[in-house]
Amino acid sequence: MWPIPDILLDINFFQITSSYIFRLILEGLLIGIIYSLMALGLTLIFSVLNIVSFAHGEFYMIGGYVVYVLLTRFKGMPGLVGIVVAALVTFLIGAVFERLFLQPMAKGKVDRPSEYAILVTFGLSFFLQFVLLGIMGPFPKKAPRFWSFPPIDLGVIRTTKATLFLGNIPLSGGRIFAAIIALLALGAMLWFMFRTWTGWALQAVSQDRNAAAVVGINPLTMNTLAFALGAMLAGLAGAVLVTVFSWVPWVGVPASAKSFVIIVLGGMGSIPGSLVGGLILGVVESLGTGLFPDPARAQAYRDVFGLIIFALVLWLKPTGLFGREL
Amino acid sequence: MSQRNGTIRLEVRNVIKNFGGLQALKGVTLNIEGPQLVGLIGPNGAGKTTLTNIITGLLKPSQGQVWFNGKRIDTLRPYHIARLGIGRTFQVTRAFRRMTVLENMLAPGLVKHPYMSRKELEKRAYEIMEFLTIDHLRHEMGGNLSGGQQKLLELARLLMLEPDLIILDEPFAGVHPKLQRTIYDYIQRVREQGKAIILISHDMESIFTLSERLVVLNFGEIIADGPPEEVKNDPAVIEAYLGKEEEDEFI
Repeated sequence: MWPIPDILLDINFFQITSSYIFRLILEGLLIGIIYSLMALGLTLIFSVLNIVSFAHGEFYMIGGYVVYVLLTRFKGMPGLVGIVVAALVTFLIGAVFERLFLQPMAKGKVDRPSEYAILVTFGLSFFLQFVLLGIMGPFPKKAPRFWSFPPIDLGVIRTTKATLFLGNIPLSGGRIFAAIIALLALGAMLWFMFRTWTGWALQAVSQDRNAAAVVGINPLTMNTLAFALGAMLAGLAGAVLVTVFSWVPWVGVPASAKSFVIIVLGGMGSIPGSLVGGLILGVVESLGTGLFPDPARAQAYRDVFGLIIFALVLWLKPTGLFGREL
Repeated sequence: MSQRNGTIRLEVRNVIKNFGGLQALKGVTLNIEGPQLVGLIGPNGAGKTTLTNIITGLLKPSQGQVWFNGKRIDTLRPYHIARLGIGRTFQVTRAFRRMTVLENMLAPGLVKHPYMSRKELEKRAYEIMEFLTIDHLRHEMGGNLSGGQQKLLELARLLMLEPDLIILDEPFAGVHPKLQRTIYDYIQRVREQGKAIILISHDMESIFTLSERLVVLNFGEIIADGPPEEVKNDPAVIEAYLGKEEEDEFI
């Protein structure tokens, strides 16, 4: 049995156990890792290009659809291949879009660049949603599960094909698998940002474009790379979650909103902020939904908890947890 | 630090720069040939920083051209000009504040030598840091350094790019006298390596001691150009710095 004593907690409306809360926290952390991955992409775009991409959720949506299409059309294809293809597709779409529509802004060829960036990324968001609506239709899709746990029975840890039990706490294998892939992607991304020349060049451009340019770094190339990488991270998040959630063309809208909440919570442009912010949001959503007095309506209120945090952060600490004072 | 071979040639040809109704540069022509230390002075608002911004590509001239080693550069972007061999520092230091001192240096180092091993590049960086007495700060974030140390970091970063022409904008401003001495030695050492330097400074003692040639800008025009001793006694220069006698009387 699970070593933590299962204490009965009497919380106003109904009785819950400590293991139930522990389960909610674990589930929140698992989904939070994927939120962090997505928010890291938005942070990268914001800090290098100094714009907020309103099409971020649509890259998440495309990532999911790419995996869905590959796994349903090519039976037996390894799921990881689908995830890699999804990453490449979203990277390419991001790079092409940045070159065509955002680069004129960086070159100073556009009046009112901030407003332009909002409009053009909103435009991309609607464009992608309706293109995918046309191709995939409005009905929810769910990719087949392409992995299963090996049978394990170590007492505390047990598995079935799709579920892992920590003592008496069941955890969705889909979420665990998604979190592991997201964690690997996060690790690779952090290594890239802090240990490679290109990562330093991205950081340099985000900190001072002109100073970076006079030491030979091309800020325009870094813009393209940052947008493409940001899109790819969102695409990866979608690719790993398409086996967990139902997929529709507007699935990216709430995902995008969550990313905004996270980067405001963590501090705009802060990499540690987006990582910690994602975990906090995941746990708050999970606890909020799990402890909501009316279980029938709890899921419908899931996004509300993030937005409450969003409002509170803007009110109490507008610079976020790791943000720099303005 | 590498030794420069061959001739360095910068030509600024009749450059005009307008900011709306204000003409910051009024047809500036300036040639710098070969290893040389040129002091560029002038009262505040004379157009010194505007001229350096045009040479390094941060501003485009309204009219006129800039050529470097036989190549027209006023149409190029700043990163391209930097790769051609023109490096600069800024009046207000612009170290990458959230990168370590070493990372600040490796970023331009890898631009210059993309295929050099990390170990070799770090060795170069340490040599430069040691000379500029900031080697003990190599793992410190750029933003944690004092103003003077950030100036030294900017100078160190510049050398990693191995430029042929170096533009130093107010390197002594706001720097502790001990660090000023280090910067002074740095300039002399870089000059000895056969590089061309444009030194902008309000520190007249340093600029008259270091410069082989002095160029004076006033209201966007070059009013004097020659050896420091000659320029020092030029009536136009004295007037630009001290004002006309009648004006003094009026004041």
